[in-house]
Amino acid sequence: MAGAFGFKGCQKIRGPQIRGLLEAKDFFLFDCDGVIWHGENAITGAAKVVNSLIRHGKNVVFVTNNCTRPRENYVHKFSRLGFTDVMLDQIFSSSYCSALYLRDVVQVRGQVFVMGCEGLRRELLEAGVPCVEEADDGPDATIYNCTLAPDVKAVLVGHDDKLTFLKLAKASCYLRDPECLFLATDNDPWHPLSGGRILPGSGSLTAALEVASGRKATVIGKPSRFMFECISSQFRGVDPAQCLMVGDRLETDMLFGSNCGLDTMLTLTGVSQLEEAQEYRNSDLTTNHSFVPDYVVDTIADFLPAFEELEEQND
Amino acid sequence: MSGTKCTRLSGAPVRRLLDSVDSVLFDCDGVIWRGDQAVPGACRVIDLLKEHGKKVFFVTNNSSKTRRMYAEKMSALGFGVSEEEVFGTAYCCAAYLRTVCELEGKKVYLIGSAAMAHELEAVGIRQTGVGPDHVSGKQGDWAAVPLDPDVRAVVVGFDEHFSYMKLNRALQYLLREDCLFVGTNRDTRLPLEGGKAVPTGCLLQAVETAAQRRAQTVGKPNHFMFDCVASHFGVQPERCLMVGDRLDTDILLGSNCGLKTLLTLTGVSTVADAEAHRESGCAERQGMVPDYYVDSIADLLPAL
Repeated sequence: MAGAFGFKGCQKIRGPQIRGLLEAKDFFLFDCDGVIWHGENAITGAAKVVNSLIRHGKNVVFVTNNCTRPRENYVHKFSRLGFTDVMLDQIFSSSYCSALYLRDVVQVRGQVFVMGCEGLRRELLEAGVPCVEEADDGPDATIYNCTLAPDVKAVLVGHDDKLTFLKLAKASCYLRDPECLFLATDNDPWHPLSGGRILPGSGSLTAALEVASGRKATVIGKPSRFMFECISSQFRGVDPAQCLMVGDRLETDMLFGSNCGLDTMLTLTGVSQLEEAQEYRNSDLTTNHSFVPDYVVDTIADFLPAFEELEEQND
Repeated sequence: MSGTKCTRLSGAPVRRLLDSVDSVLFDCDGVIWRGDQAVPGACRVIDLLKEHGKKVFFVTNNSSKTRRMYAEKMSALGFGVSEEEVFGTAYCCAAYLRTVCELEGKKVYLIGSAAMAHELEAVGIRQTGVGPDHVSGKQGDWAAVPLDPDVRAVVVGFDEHFSYMKLNRALQYLLREDCLFVGTNRDTRLPLEGGKAVPTGCLLQAVETAAQRRAQTVGKPNHFMFDCVASHFGVQPERCLMVGDRLDTDILLGSNCGLKTLLTLTGVSTVADAEAHRESGCAERQGMVPDYYVDSIADLLPAL
């Protein structure tokens, strides 16, 4: 599907071609923000698409770099927005996967210093990963007089709206120990909110700490492969050739799909524009080609006519 | 200077070098003091240089003090120094915003110290942002935070009150294309403090990453700080010596401005670092190779 020489088509597809994809693939990975919903508003038709995929026996999972909420919140949100039957084990957030990484891959013995919000800490605690307590440093606390926790074996950076200079300084101290791991939930420099607004992302905090420590973080979220490994492990082995990754951000979702050997689809309801994808495709730098989607749709609602045809066929 | 570079300075060449210059620029941390202690002999070196009729200036990337605060610190350590001889990035950043950005009478969003606010006010530039600033309300509120329409630039220096909210405000201002973006410096390590604090370079990196824009920095190795000194005091580059402990800021500044350069080993960089740049075969790295090096500036005393 990705072309004879691996050249990615970046083609807008509809109707019959989408039907072809629906028949060929049995594992659908969706990003959330900008693909399924914008804030509290579902993309028109998205619920019907997801419900139809599930009804047709397809595996559907949601892969998000958003690390601010625990997965239970997502289950409730899906339900609120009309997506029936979406369960906890279909949701893969960068915070959940960070917890899995620390528990199962690193098998961390010792504490984790977390620069992130409550949602991230909850996932870690639920996985049984010990976190350094959020310190109640007084207003006069400085790095020279505050207490540093003993036995910190990892620093995990996510979206931290309670970021302070002192936290950066503490993290920087812990990272002076080469045995202490340096992890980031994701590298997104900014996060989109509904209405076209943006907020600073985990990537900006990670960059600050990389500069402070002189070390590179291991990134858990997209575009790194690890979230796909979590999915594959939970579903007892997933064949990349059976998968379609649907996202709205070239530098995270499309690159993630490319890194994992999945076919990719860009939906234009979110961050990236078709022109940006075309620029990457036309670029002389072959590394830029990994950002190019195989397929493009205006919205995932474009799947709906293909379902109707499938259902007509079955009748 | 052509010929072999990065040679140890001792004996007769010390006198020859000093005779060939009228002005000497010193970095501070790791050169004339280390933390709160003067480098042994440093006070005497400064006094003697002045007695020999040399002009002496201090050029530091540290933005947490005003010129007056530096002069006070230096006097307390035994240095005979006046305010006008000190060029820190708080002062130079204000000068840059006034002369190059033409922001006198205008306003900036400042992530920086009270000292920076003070230096800005002294040149008629208003600021908003100094001091603690924490999030409240919800995410939607933060992205919609009210922006002061008079703000023309985001300015980033060392700020112990750095927070997510400040990072957010800076991002929102920087989304306006006509908003300028200026940083004091990119230093990524603080000398001699064992990595315990967070240098300005990190804070600047956070803002640059969120905004996907690069700041114009004022501090070393950018030539602006030398321009400040030269425009105040009529310094000729070819008759000027830059003495520093960091190859990527002090020595590079010297090379960029056509000064003679002297590395002192009482701070961050080593001779091995300098030789690595010299042997690299990379044209860009040659600017970080000093003409000479000494173990400490006290090594200049025999010639003075």
